[in-house]
Amino acid sequence: MPHDVTMPQLGMAQDAGKIVSWLKSPGDAVAKGDALFEVETDKATMEVEAQADGYLTGVSASEGDDVPVGAVIARISDSADDDTPAPAPEPSEAPDATGTSDDLPEGHSVTMPQLGMAQDTGLLVSWHKSPGDEVAAADILFEVETDKSTMEVEAGRDGFLAATLAEAGEDVPVGNPVAIISDTAPATPVARAQSAATPPPAKPVPDNAKEPAPKSDKPASAPRPAAPAPRASGDRILASPKTRRLALEQGLDLARLAEASYPQPYHAADIETLRALPDPATAPQGAVAAARRLTAETTQDGLPDFFAWAAEAHGLTDADALLAGLAATSLATKGPVAVERFGPSKTFAIASRSLAQVTETEDTPVLLLRDLRASRLSAVDMGAEDTPVLTLMATGKGVSITLECAPAQMDAATAIQLITDFAGRVEDPIRHLL
Amino acid sequence: MAKAKSKTNTEDYLRMYRQMVRIRTFEDNANQLYLSAKMPGLTHMYSGEEAVAVGICEALTDDDRITSTHRGHGHCVAKGAEFKEMFCELLGKEEGYCRGKGGSMHIADQSHGNLGANAIVGGSMGIATGSALRAKLNGDDDVTVCFFGDGATAQGLMYEVMNMAALWKLPVIYACENNGYSEYTKTEEIAAGSITARAEAFGIEAFKIDGQDVLAVNDLTQKLVARCRKGEGPFFIELETYRYHGHHVGDINREYYRTKDEEKDWKSNRDPIIRFRAHLVSEGIATEEELDAMNAEVEQDAADAVAYAEAANYPDQSEVDMHVYAE
Amino acid sequence: MREITLSQAVNEALAEEMRRDPTTFIIGEDVAEAGTPFKVLSGLVEEFGTDRVIDTPISEPGFMGLAVGAAMTGARPIVDLMFGDFIFLIMDQLCNQAAKIHYMSGGKLNVPLVLRTNMGATRRSAAQHSQSLQALVAHIPGLKVAMPSSAYEAKGLMKTAIRDNNPVVIFEDKLMYQDKAPVPEDEYLIPFGEANVKREGKDITLIATSSMVQVAEKAADMLAAEGIEAEVIDPRTIVPLDEETLLESVKKTSRAIVIDEGHQSYGVTAEIASRLNEKAFYHLDAPVLRMGAMDVPVPFSPALEDITVPTPEGVAENARKLCAGELIHAA
Repeated sequence: MPHDVTMPQLGMAQDAGKIVSWLKSPGDAVAKGDALFEVETDKATMEVEAQADGYLTGVSASEGDDVPVGAVIARISDSADDDTPAPAPEPSEAPDATGTSDDLPEGHSVTMPQLGMAQDTGLLVSWHKSPGDEVAAADILFEVETDKSTMEVEAGRDGFLAATLAEAGEDVPVGNPVAIISDTAPATPVARAQSAATPPPAKPVPDNAKEPAPKSDKPASAPRPAAPAPRASGDRILASPKTRRLALEQGLDLARLAEASYPQPYHAADIETLRALPDPATAPQGAVAAARRLTAETTQDGLPDFFAWAAEAHGLTDADALLAGLAATSLATKGPVAVERFGPSKTFAIASRSLAQVTETEDTPVLLLRDLRASRLSAVDMGAEDTPVLTLMATGKGVSITLECAPAQMDAATAIQLITDFAGRVEDPIRHLL
Repeated sequence: MAKAKSKTNTEDYLRMYRQMVRIRTFEDNANQLYLSAKMPGLTHMYSGEEAVAVGICEALTDDDRITSTHRGHGHCVAKGAEFKEMFCELLGKEEGYCRGKGGSMHIADQSHGNLGANAIVGGSMGIATGSALRAKLNGDDDVTVCFFGDGATAQGLMYEVMNMAALWKLPVIYACENNGYSEYTKTEEIAAGSITARAEAFGIEAFKIDGQDVLAVNDLTQKLVARCRKGEGPFFIELETYRYHGHHVGDINREYYRTKDEEKDWKSNRDPIIRFRAHLVSEGIATEEELDAMNAEVEQDAADAVAYAEAANYPDQSEVDMHVYAE
Repeated sequence: MREITLSQAVNEALAEEMRRDPTTFIIGEDVAEAGTPFKVLSGLVEEFGTDRVIDTPISEPGFMGLAVGAAMTGARPIVDLMFGDFIFLIMDQLCNQAAKIHYMSGGKLNVPLVLRTNMGATRRSAAQHSQSLQALVAHIPGLKVAMPSSAYEAKGLMKTAIRDNNPVVIFEDKLMYQDKAPVPEDEYLIPFGEANVKREGKDITLIATSSMVQVAEKAADMLAAEGIEAEVIDPRTIVPLDEETLLESVKKTSRAIVIDEGHQSYGVTAEIASRLNEKAFYHLDAPVLRMGAMDVPVPFSPALEDITVPTPEGVAENARKLCAGELIHAA
């Protein structure tokens, strides 16, 4: 029985060895222990001994060849004229970084681009150039489709399309070469399917041995969490996992706690409060309900400068009218808005966006603006009144604004919109004019 | 070479020869499995040291225990293990001695008293001494042999357990296989003074012996085992030997620590198998032809075992968390 | 029921098991006539002789190694490691050898040994005689770890450990040796992996090991006076861990604090808290808190040492915050 001569594994982390020289010729008689050939690894050169007696036959690797560990390079046979060739060793090197291998033209490779955030492959829709074509950097080379869109990929450099390494209709892993662009016209342009690409040589495994099979009882995908998704209205609601679970189980919406201005984070005990909140869909009109209370803070108070500018440039000297105008335009109804400062109040109507057209009126206001910036108050919690109330208080360099109203007077979205818009105008009144 | 005693020893001698050939053949095959990238991980070859394992283990019964080392295939074979289960273990197959969980450096064969190879240098000295303590406490008459290399003499554990073994007269034999190298370093660079003197400091009788002479090793061990059984232990033997391969397979560029001439000298002039073979032939115990036939038979056994192991199944993945805890 | 000290309970367990099983023996430093510095073993050498209560030289890796070898060949050694801190000396024999031999041998070899040692600070012994190192060994597959919280547990767990076919490490709190508890005269065993609900409550679960069980119980008393009902659970063995009982309790109370005297970082508390988080997440109404020893070497000065370990006041304070819905450490 002939004995295979293989490229030995020599070092601790070695994949291949270079045959420096054969010390025996095909047909030579060899004895076990005779030095057969010399191998060079990164560490050293060493002689490899014959493991059997016989004749060296079927030599399939030449001096200078890099041969993968485990590859059969010759045989030791019982007779010198055994002409069964040993299988030719596969090249040990995987295609190098430029995507070329010995039968591919030289050049720069164009790879499948990463287009999406979590995209592994791209579908090559069509080639816009053929192998051998001259290409310019900005020429469209091919079209790629991902789950999101189709996109044209440019050549990226001038030259010649020397090889296409995937065909239209193939899914190509991101980063894999799909084309080679050479500087000179290729003698034999290559067109090849991706599926024709040879995988890098794997470590040989005895093919009669069973490989461990991957476990099949793993879930195909992670189970979806049962927690309700955070509401889109406003920031993420802080609530304990248990609270979220209970809310989900009972069909309750934690956002309603937030809209009713209950402080976060929410715990299981808050579920009871949530249950006691009137359902906005079924609550009877005029029923006494817990008040909404929303607070906003601005980083600066833009009002004094704005009032001064309005007086000087436009002759608008009624600060209260200006304030009412800024608030009224934040309302869908555009007013009327009452302004109250330490007692007396005046109500204003606004005809248009123009602050010049704010006039005093006897109509019932839909919003009361309580300007307490000159007081030492830092917070109010007055509960709902007949009319929604916006209270302004000074806080450092900015203004703290609290909106209080009964849920029936204003729905959550309107309330949030109002206080958000108004706070923006107080911080930077010029915005109002834009 | 110690003198053959009589023809009645023929059977013993031929078994010793055969066991040495089995070890060498096992290692040649293991080396080939590594070289051809068929074996996971790497391994440490015992080739060259066969007379130590065989000389000692042939003086023991299956009730006697040994502890082995990372260079342990020789001890395992000498203590009676089968090729098939050993190769299966080397390849990580389910029929291996440890169901593929131990590999080359952890083969244990309890049925023949092999408490296992140990991949911590010097790590089994406590285990061997503890086995001897158990024997003494139980009144059992088995003896435990602790195999270790010259490198392990640098571990503190050795001195702790030799101290207790000497204090309590435990039936343990410390067998120091001095193959001249502590991994990639000459022993003389890591060991100050005399190795046997260290045992003698505890009042332990210590011997230094040619580890390439299987009969000499066997004679001495037989005497020491008998004395251990009478409560005269412990003992210490330093066996001068040589490893033909590097520290491990893949340690091929060795010239920075030892010369090819030195290797050649040991292989040509002090090989334990060649020496014993010549002795068997010259004493008329066996003919060259008989010994060749024995070699061929062992080689066939090994080839069959390798083929069997290559075709054998890997353990089922469900075994991965089996045997973490005993029932 | 009669009350005996933890020390007496351990002594009784050892004596009973050594009478029952002739393959058992005790090995360690000053275990015979001295009966250990804590006198836990007093009287045993008189009954069992120096062959079964074996004084060793001061060679921890050595006698630990001997125990492993004896266990592998049919004996059931009980190793006495004078201070838990010395575990670092025997790590190779315990973790590379004892813990792995059953597995590495494909189930052929067993290592039935008990390593009894101790833990616990505030004995004014400074950094090398005060550590609680249970997390180190609990990390290694193949070892079981028991942490008795009273004389009753100390006896029942020790007897189970001696009969177990695996290496078992038992940590006794050295400050509890003189603590008395009711212990039945009749024989009993405490199975591994069964937690003990020491006190029932509905508002918060206090999971505590060893002496921290007392700390948790004191905290529960304080909280009860304020109307907070704390459940106190003693896992008794941290490997294996009775997850089921812990999860059941936490699902009921929605809040938990895990208390163990090992260093807090990468410790027993972290492991248990993490499992609760993974398996009871949607039942949690507050973050699970860890309370371990401070991440400092144990200091000598009483003024410093006492603040390194969890106290009933600290546990109660954290429990109050969790029950009040305060997000501790929330950004």
